Order: sequence, then C-alpha cells, then structure tokens
Amino acid sequence: MAKLYNRIQKVGAKYPQRRSAVMPALRLAQEAHGGWLPPEALRDVADALDLAPAEVEAVATFYDMFNFEPVGRHLVEVCTNLSCALAGAKQVVDAFESELGIPPGETSEDGEVTFRLIECAGGCGYAPVVVVDHLYREPTRPEDVPGLVEELRGS
Amino acid sequence: MSTPELVNVVIDGRDIQVPKGTGMVETALAAGVEIPVFCYEPRIGPPIGACRMCLCEVEGMPKLQTACTMTATDGLVLRTAQTSDKAADGQDAVLEFILLNHPLDCPDCDKGGECPLQDLTFRWGPGNTRMHFPKRTFDKPIPISPLIGLDRERCILCYRCTRFSELVAEDGQLVAVDRGAQSIIATFEDEPYRAPLSGNVIEVCPVGALTSMTYRFRARPWEIQNVPTVCGLCPVGCNVWATTREGKVARILSRNHPEVDEGWLCDKGRFAYGHLGAEDRITSPLRRVRRRGFERVSWEEALDEAERGLHEADGSVVVALSGGETVEQATALARLVQDGLGSRAAFLPETFHPALERFRAPLSAIRDADVALVLGDHPVIERAPIVDLWLRSARRGGAEVITVNPAGTIPTAPGSAPATCAQLAQGDPPRELRNAARSLKRAKRVALVWSQDDSTGGAHVLALAQSLGEKASVYFLPRTPNGRGVAAAWRAAAEPPAGELGGLIVSGDEAAADPRVQELAQRARFVLTTAMFENEVTLWSHVVLPGTSYLEREGTTVNLEGRPQRLRRAANPPVDDEVAFFADLAGRFGVPVDPWAAELPAERASLPPRSEGNGAIKAPAARAAGRPGKGLELVRYRGLFSGAAVERVPQLQFQRALAEVEISAADALPRGIERGAPVRVSSNGTSRTLTARINRRLRAGVVRIEAEHAEGLAGRVEVTRA
Amino acid sequence: MAAELTVLTGSDERDLTRLEAYRAIGGYRQLARARKMNPARVIEEISKASLRGRGGAGFPMGRKLSLVPPAAKRQGPAYVVANADESEPGAFKDREIIRRVPHRFLEGCLIAAHAIEAEAVFIYIRGEYLAEALVLEAAIEEARVAGLFGQVKVVLHRGAGAYICGEESALLESLEGSRGQPRPRPPFPPVAGLYMQPTLINNVQTITSVPAIMELGAERYAELGVASAPGTVVYSLSGNVNRPGNYELPLGVTLRELIFEFGQGIADGRTLKAIIPGGSSVPVFTPDQLDVQLDFDSVQAAGSYLGSAAVIVVDERACMVQLALRAEKFYMHESCGKCTPCREGTRWLVRLLEKIEAGDGTQGDLDLVVDVCGRIEGKSLCALGDFAVWCVGSYVEKFHDEFQRHVDEGHCPYGGESSTDGVPAPSDQHTHTAMAQVPA
Ligand SMILES: Cc1cc2nc3c(=O)[nH]c(=O)nc-3n(C[C@H](O)[C@H](O)[C@H](O)COP(=O)(O)O)c2cc1C
Ligand code: SF4
Ligand code: FES
Repeated sequence: MAKLYNRIQKVGAKYPQRRSAVMPALRLAQEAHGGWLPPEALRDVADALDLAPAEVEAVATFYDMFNFEPVGRHLVEVCTNLSCALAGAKQVVDAFESELGIPPGETSEDGEVTFRLIECAGGCGYAPVVVVDHLYREPTRPEDVPGLVEELRGS
Repeated sequence: MSTPELVNVVIDGRDIQVPKGTGMVETALAAGVEIPVFCYEPRIGPPIGACRMCLCEVEGMPKLQTACTMTATDGLVLRTAQTSDKAADGQDAVLEFILLNHPLDCPDCDKGGECPLQDLTFRWGPGNTRMHFPKRTFDKPIPISPLIGLDRERCILCYRCTRFSELVAEDGQLVAVDRGAQSIIATFEDEPYRAPLSGNVIEVCPVGALTSMTYRFRARPWEIQNVPTVCGLCPVGCNVWATTREGKVARILSRNHPEVDEGWLCDKGRFAYGHLGAEDRITSPLRRVRRRGFERVSWEEALDEAERGLHEADGSVVVALSGGETVEQATALARLVQDGLGSRAAFLPETFHPALERFRAPLSAIRDADVALVLGDHPVIERAPIVDLWLRSARRGGAEVITVNPAGTIPTAPGSAPATCAQLAQGDPPRELRNAARSLKRAKRVALVWSQDDSTGGAHVLALAQSLGEKASVYFLPRTPNGRGVAAAWRAAAEPPAGELGGLIVSGDEAAADPRVQELAQRARFVLTTAMFENEVTLWSHVVLPGTSYLEREGTTVNLEGRPQRLRRAANPPVDDEVAFFADLAGRFGVPVDPWAAELPAERASLPPRSEGNGAIKAPAARAAGRPGKGLELVRYRGLFSGAAVERVPQLQFQRALAEVEISAADALPRGIERGAPVRVSSNGTSRTLTARINRRLRAGVVRIEAEHAEGLAGRVEVTRA
Repeated sequence: MAAELTVLTGSDERDLTRLEAYRAIGGYRQLARARKMNPARVIEEISKASLRGRGGAGFPMGRKLSLVPPAAKRQGPAYVVANADESEPGAFKDREIIRRVPHRFLEGCLIAAHAIEAEAVFIYIRGEYLAEALVLEAAIEEARVAGLFGQVKVVLHRGAGAYICGEESALLESLEGSRGQPRPRPPFPPVAGLYMQPTLINNVQTITSVPAIMELGAERYAELGVASAPGTVVYSLSGNVNRPGNYELPLGVTLRELIFEFGQGIADGRTLKAIIPGGSSVPVFTPDQLDVQLDFDSVQAAGSYLGSAAVIVVDERACMVQLALRAEKFYMHESCGKCTPCREGTRWLVRLLEKIEAGDGTQGDLDLVVDVCGRIEGKSLCALGDFAVWCVGSYVEKFHDEFQRHVDEGHCPYGGESSTDGVPAPSDQHTHTAMAQVPA
C-alpha cells in the first residue's frame, strides 16, 4: 500500500492542515479496495495521515458514500425524495427490484450490481433520477429499467 | 497577570459581578443558580452545545440559548428554567427527548444515587414518557476493554467520553460512529480501548453508560466511604478518593487538585488497587529457619530476631530504600540506623539536586508556558502520565512543545539530553537546535521537563534553567513516587562499603527488585526485609516483615514538584505498618521515634515557594551521545504498566507493554520489515523475537523497546526479519 | 418577460465552459478591475448592490464581507469557502451554474478572495456531483495555467454524502477532516471559521452573482428584482409541472408566473394541491397563495421562506401524510446526531407518522405530532431541527382534514391510489454501517 500512502501524502499537501485530506484519502482507499472500505483500508488512511484508526472510522461512517461491505461491480442508486417521489420513483424502484431480484440495499447474487436508495440527488427537475456508477440518468422511467440492467450486465 | 475586567450580569433577577468571559454556567452558580448540564465539562475542552439541557432565555434574543456556550458580558440578562416558562419548557422538552431511549433502570445502575440524569428526572422529569414505541435496544453492557463496560442503551450521546479521548488524552481511540439516531460510541473494530488514561471516561460519563469493570455492582453509594488520599504509584501523586467498603478498597476516583492532576488519573492509579488483596501477599512476619525456609512468627518475635541480627552487625549496616516509603518511614529508618546503629550507609534509589527547589513550579504552570522543552529518552507518558496531559494541554493552548529524544520534534541520538542542555545553555547551539534556542530566548515562560534517569539529580537541566533565569521552571521526573522525600530524609547518606556486610535492611519491593540490592544481600550476614510479596531478596532474608501499600499508610509523600502531600490509610494492612515496626526497633537501640508525624500536609497540599540562592549550578561534562558501532542503537525504557502491583491485577494485563520493537521507517524498509511483522532483535548472544512497530517519527539508526521485552539486550542490536 | 440575466448570462447562446469562450464574452475582466481596486471598495460595491445570500438564509453578502477583519487587523490567513453542497430537496440550481458557467463562478470566488485578501479558496462540492466536479476541475486547471489565480490557492474538495455538510459550520468541520457536525456560534465564520481563521462562506450562486455586480455596478444591478432583494435568481422548479427545470428570473416573480407561465402548468391538466416554495425544509403553501411574490421578504410575510428558491409543485394525487412521512425520513436520516432534540425528535416523528399513515394512529398520536414539532423547534443546535418540523408542522396545519381522516377512517383516504403511496426511503434499507441497531 506504499502507493496509496504516497497518493494520500500528495492530497494532504493541498491543505493547510493534513487532516483535511481524510475524505479524499478515504475515497482513494475505497477505490484501491474495490469500492468499499475494509478495516485494513481504514488503517492505511490512519497510518498515512497520522490519525488513530478509530478517528478515521468515525469520519468515514458519518457519510453515505463510503461503503463498509463489499459492493457490486456496478452501483445503481435511485432517488426517492419528494420531487422524484411525485414523479413516480416508487415504480422505478419496483422495476429495479424485479429486474435485479433484490430489495434496495442489497447486492445481486452474481455480485454484479449493488442497488440502493438515496436521498435527493439534485436532479429534481429531471425526475425520477437514477444514478449509475456515479453518473446521473435523468429521467429514468420504469420502462427504461430492463434495458439499463441489460446494459450493466453486458458491460 | 492583569486582573480581568468585572462585568455585571443578571441571573433570575439576581445581580452578580464576575470577570468578563466567565462561563454562564459558572456565573449562574456564583449567583446561586444551578443550570443543569450534560455535555458541558470545561476540563474537556470548549463547550459544544450538544445536549441542549442548559437552554435559557436571554434578554434581547428571540430563541432560547445554551448557557454552556455563553460567557459573561456586561449587562447580560439571563433567565433560567426557574424564572422563565419558556426556558422551563425548553428544558422539559430536552429532558423528555433524552429519556426517550434511556432505560429507567436506576435501581440496578452503578450510577444510581450519583447520577445527574436521575436527579433531574426526579426534579423536573416527565413521570412517564409519551413515547410508546420500542426504545433503542443494544446488547447490555459490552466490555470496551477489560477495565471499562459500555451500556449503549444508557448513553445519551453527550460526547464527553469521545472528547476526552480526542481532546485531552489525544489517543483518538474512543469515538462516535455512524450518524443521527444511529450514532453510537465505539472503538475501532471493537478492539479494546487500550490507552494509559482510558479509565477517565468512566468519571466523565454523566450517566451510567461507561462503568468500571472492576467496580460494577460492587457497592451502593450509601454503603461506601470515600477516603481522601494520594496515589503512590508514580511521582505525580494524583489526589484521589479511595472508596472503601468494609475496610477494603473498592475503587479509586480522582479528587481534583487543579495544580497537580486537574481531576485526571492514569489506569495504573485507578485500577491497581486490586493488588492489595493478591493471594501471594506476605501477611505475617517471617523468620528464616535452617533448611525449612520460613516460619510465621509474631510481631514481638520478629522484633527480637531483628534486634539480635542488627546488634551482631555492630555498625556495619546498610539500608536499601525503594523511594516509595513515606517520609515518616524513611525518617524512622534514618533515626534507627544513623542514631541507633551508627551507620550512614544507604542505597538510595535516586538523588535530587538541591537547586530543584529554586526552579520549582506547580505542574499546572506547564500549561501557562509559551515554550515547553522536554528532554530525555524516556517517554513522559510512561514515567509520569499526567505530565504528558499537561504538555498536550499546553500545546493545544498554543505553546510550542519541543521534545528532544530519538522520536522527538528534534530527533536526537539516544543519551543526548545532557549535551543538549549544555549546548543550549552555552548559547552557540548546533544547527538542529537553533530554532529551539531562539524560542527559549523569546519565551516569557519556559517549562523544562527532564524525563530519564539521571545520577546528577537534574544538574544538566538546572544549569540550562539558570542560563534562562527566573522565567524557567524545572520538572525533574524521578523514577519513584517519593524518591524526593526519601532522599531528603537521608541527606548525609554514605555509599555502601565493599566486602562483607554485617546487616542489610531492605525497605520495600522496589528496592528488593533492584539487582544491585540483590548483590548487597548476598554479602550481608543478616538481612531484614519489608516487602508485600516474595522476591529475590526475601529468599536471602532472615527476617521478613509484611510491607504495606500506599493505600494502607498514614504519612507524607513528596511528589515531583516537591509538594508534600498527605497519605491516608484507606485499607487496613495485614499487620501494623513499617513505621511502627522501625519505631519499636529504634526504641530497643535507645532511640525514641514517634511513629506519628509531627504535622501532616493539608488535604489539598500547597506548593512550597521557590527557595532563594543563586550559586552557579555546575553540571558534569556531558559525553558525546551515540555509541559508535554497527547495528541499531537500543533505547530501553520502563513501561507505565509494570511492577509488582500491576502484575497482580488481571484486568490490567492487557495494558502492559506489547512485545514490540519500535523501528524507524528508514530502517524498516531496507530490512523488508512491515507493520506488525515479526522481527528478531539480538545483541551479544541474546536474541528476542518481537513485533515490528514502524514509528515514522523515530530517528534512523535507533530502536525502542520496553525494558520487560529488552531483557538481555543492550547497547547496539541487530534487527532482522524473523 | 425578457429578463436580463446575471448568473447564467450567455450560456444559452454558447458553451461557456472553456476559458476562451468565457473570455470572449468579457470573462475575468471584472476580476482584473477588482484587483486594481482597493479591497474595501470592492466590498462597498457589493454592499451597495445589497446582494442577499442564495443559500437559504438570504443574509446580505456585503455585511458578511465587512465582518471579516481586514488583513491589517488580523493574525494569519483568511479563507473563502464556496458552498456547493447543494442538497436541499428540490434544489438543483448550483449544479446547473457549475455546469454552464464554471468560470464565472471562479471569477466570483477570486473577486471575493481579493475583497478579503484571502490566501485560499476552498470549494466544497457535494460528493454526488461527479460530472460537475470534473467540469470544475477542468476550469480550475485552465484558469491556473492562464495565471488567473495570482497568489490565491484554489482547492476543490468533494463531500461524501451528508446533507448537514451544507450547513456552514458543519461544512467547515467536514473540510477540516472531522465529522460534519455543526459548531455552536458565536464565533461566526467571518471571525473564526476554517481552522479558526476568518472565513467568508457563501453559496455558489451568491458568489457567481458578483461579477455581474462589478460589471453592471451596484445601481444597475439593484434595478433588477425587488428593492428588498435585488438581482436575479435561478429558481429550481420541480414536481408535477409540465416544464420543470431551472429558470433564472428577477427576484419577485409570482408563484403563478413561475408555475403556469414558465412551468406551463400542472401536468396532465390535474389540479394543484400544494406548493413548497423554498425546498423541502420550508412551510408549505396552498393554491390560494399562488400570487405570492418569490422574494425573501414576500414569502416570509406569507408564512414561509424563499430558502433556496426551489419550488416543488404537488398535484391532487399526492397524500400529504405520505409526503410528510417521506420528508421526515429524510431529516431523520440526515440529522447529524449531535444535538438531542433533532436526533431523538426526528426519529420520534417518523414513528408517529408511520403509525398514522398506516391507519393505526390515534387522536393522541396526531396531537403528539404537533406537540413534538413544537418541542423541537427553536431548541436545536442548527436549523436542521427547525427544517424537520417546519415541513411536517405546516402539512398538518394546512391539510389537517387529510391527517384527521387517516385517524378517523383508520386508513389512507386514497386507498393506495396516491402518487406517493409506499415510497421507500434510504432509512428503510439496512444500513451498511450497521453497528447501531435501531429497530424499525
Ligand atoms: C441543514 C442546512 C443545510 C444547508 N445546506 C446548504 C446548501 O446545501 N448550500 C448552501 O449554499 N447553503 C446551505 N445552508 C445554508 C448555509 O448554512 C449558509 O447559510 C450559506 O451557505 C451561506 O451562504 P449565502 O449567504 O451565500 O446564502 C444550509 C443550512 C442548513 C441549516
Ligand atoms: S439540529 Fe440536527 S443536524 Fe443540527 S446539530 Fe442538531 S442534530 Fe445536528
Ligand atoms: S450542557 Fe449546554 S448543551 Fe449540553
């Protein structure tokens, strides 16, 4: 993990105080560990920023975008906040549930797709919003879902 | 310091004058008004306004304000729940929210009777909550270490414990994880909270969420008695309450002395009391009998035997002291040996330079220093943990803390401290010391901390202090709790003579554990030992008297500041104590000794003033640090969690130093050694396998190992991957 | 109405994301001008324009600027922090601004930096905005290479998913590498902010409005919008309208104009039921309030807040109890957990609303909802606690019959036919940081 260590040092140098780099560092560590943060990843970040592992865990668990369980190769997130709800997000969620055969919050058997609900993604004008691997698909209607899942499984 | 401006504040209609900037909770108290608080604890750091229990109405402000985050300003008019319905409603709301998930199991909670939340609930609290949903449920108390239990159902998330860990001890091990209603207090991956000061979180917890695993369900507040005394396990001498029940110590709590400990204790001081009841403790006088080992004898028989032995020694008597004795014990021994037996020969654990009195200052003054210079290879936290807290507090307050040791802010070769003092005192320091020299020069207040054994008793650091003048204070950290008091009682002591000794008196387990004392014992015709536990020396002894613990003694002890403090007997020793024995013995040699000290220090002892005197302080020439040779230079230090007492408390074992070797990244890399890897450390024949800890601050060419794991290793060592 | 634009100006006609394109329409000239001016003059200009913050509170930017101690009177550096955490349900304007006029936003940051002689600019962008972060990164790189930063350091910092980090003091905590929990105030950021140094923190749109003020001059700028709130603002229109989206208009257009002219009315000719005028956090309006002008003071006079000017349109098919429950689940999920009323109260409200929505609620439960809202309001450490009750509280007040029927009839009057029926929320799925066991 010497590479990760050095990358974190580089990010740390951007800030007046190195501790500010803990979030970018966690993002780097999550990438380096296949999309989630095993304890070892938290230790690496702590080591690189001269923090206690617990301090790093405290920060990491505060945010929704850090994962503490393995995730699928793809990440499908559906916004169900007010504007999307009014635009039929429920039907989109149902569509994914039946296409993937898993409830939100789970990862498909084949480990291909992690499917979860998210709070307002800031696409309310183009609802319902679906975010695939961190890129917005606006709007996504129930009828678009089968094709979308197809595309993910294929890629 | 200039006297702060006074301001007028009105609280619940009462006028009061306080210094500008005084916290409103304190201001209210001064006006005789109590504002309930949970998260507020000024010793931990700035207020966070989290629990909202202290909501008050402030004239000119539409919203309720948290008193804990406000300070006194002139003309401020504040109304608490006692005079403001709005504030009362606010507090009532907050209390209801707090109780939503707090079980009302006060009767079987350790905090029961000592719990602010319980009191408030009785005073204001809603008798029955209006929430009819299941409360948050968690596994009932889970141990977060062998010492501390955490009951998450009782936790009200005031963040006192986590702030202690983050902002006082700075160990960062106890934290809040997750967010919102899911937030919980936790350690990393549920690993034990393993840090020298962990136990303090039990005391800062305002409810019964964090409790002592050694005290839980032991006693009810009304069955116990709290004895004010002083910890005798390190030279800080923290003020403590010894909670006793039926003559036994059931727990140790802090007894805040603002100049000494500010209400913090290390885990050794808090939990080591368990050794009092260790089953291998010597409980009656013993006499050596040919081939059959020892036999139990009476106090009188022991005295007879001791008298005979010392009489035959005629004059050739040596006393070995531990440095843990009370001043009274040391004095009684001195009178017996010097006046009764006509010998001055003593083995003293430590010596102290008289000029220490000239640069004396309370520990709390470390926080007021603008520069603190810490010299010596022995980690401060292992030697005097509370001093480490004062230094951290100083740094947080903006002081520059310079540490001179192989892992310091100035990473020097081992043994550099004396030379560093000389170079700084002479005023033409080498490059790596220039900034430090400049800071010392500029500073208005300097704290000099010496943290390693020193046969000169502090001459080097004192010489530096003299060059800085009045503004310098010296904190010389001895190895023993009362070495300073003992040395004072034994001023004109003489070196032990060579050859056969008539008699040897070994006072205490620490002395008995010293190889040099063991060597004396082997050439003594008669050996009298006082010890709590059997050890290498008792085997050589002819008479053994049960030793007592600091928790079983009345008397005086002098801490590293030179502050005489009062020890009180919290628990009863197995037999009468050492002072009584040596007083009796002295009597038999025609020397009257009053076992009761003439006058004892006050419950909260004050520090004697600095002594006058300006004679030049001479320090022996310092040898150039860093032994030449191949391999890495070994620094060994004694860990805090070591010694006869700690060894006998099962719950403390996890705190003892790990079998680790600290190695610099620069030395680890070429050897292919990674974090946590097993490595072989060897020197002249002996070799040990230890776990590698990469310390990025450690100077290249140096390794650090705790003494217990460095046995047989010395000088320079070879380090390889195992 | 062909309104003059001050934020998205020129981005309809051409792509302004590249530096030369932005320069071609006069970009960065105002920065050059400002840098020739005395910082105090720049502050004066912005104050004269009485530009009010677009992040929610509507606090005058000029006043904030002048609260920052001038370089001569302070120790250590000062910082500018741009709040691009945009997470208020209903708001998506900052995202559009960053995508379309990243350089105008940067120019605003740099002018602000000059005004307070800041050492660095930190841009805190919500973690979900990946595409936007990339656009900004490119723009920052272009500007740096072009030497536009001078002595100023510009750092782009990505969040990681936490609504509370939009709250300025929580944002600073997060930026310092701690858990994003609000700080008690005072001290306020202009006095002690990032790393306890004087810090100007403003919303993306507020900052992006600055170049226009410098260009038009305070007077001309003040002619736009209304006296109490000059200038234009980007309204985010969403919900059941035909043409949702962002509309930059002078402050003070009426809800009717926005929804029926620009938004072209309610979808499928349905009837309007409710309007949330400033993002999910503000009290709801009813159709009879369509003529309220959308500026800070008018909306407040009408009993709500302009907030982030995010207008959510709700048609007849929505069940207000379900909407309230969904909103409250959001606040429970986003409560930082630091202060008691918000942490415990939001959870309690969710439980009560779930019960009522399921038809198991008693009169006592309904009364309790109102009471609990009152017990949270004004007692929390930051405004999230208030947000969490303004929405629900106003739904119950304005649509009381609908709540009452759930209690009286023992089921949702829509009988499963509402547009909001059974909408799941993130807090319903099992959390991946599940060390905490909070029973549903
Ligand atoms: C819970 C909460 C969330 C907030 N979220 C945002 C946000 O996403 N973006 C923003 O600009 N301001 C947000 N604010 C307002 C900020 O605290 C702050 O007032 C604002 O950034 C100041 O900028 P302005 O004066 O330019 O509006 C939020 C406030 C609260 C209490
Ligand atoms: S109101 Fe909510 S979000 Fe704000 S500090 Fe309190 S708990 Fe945190
Ligand atoms: S004591 Fe003031 S908020 Fe907790």
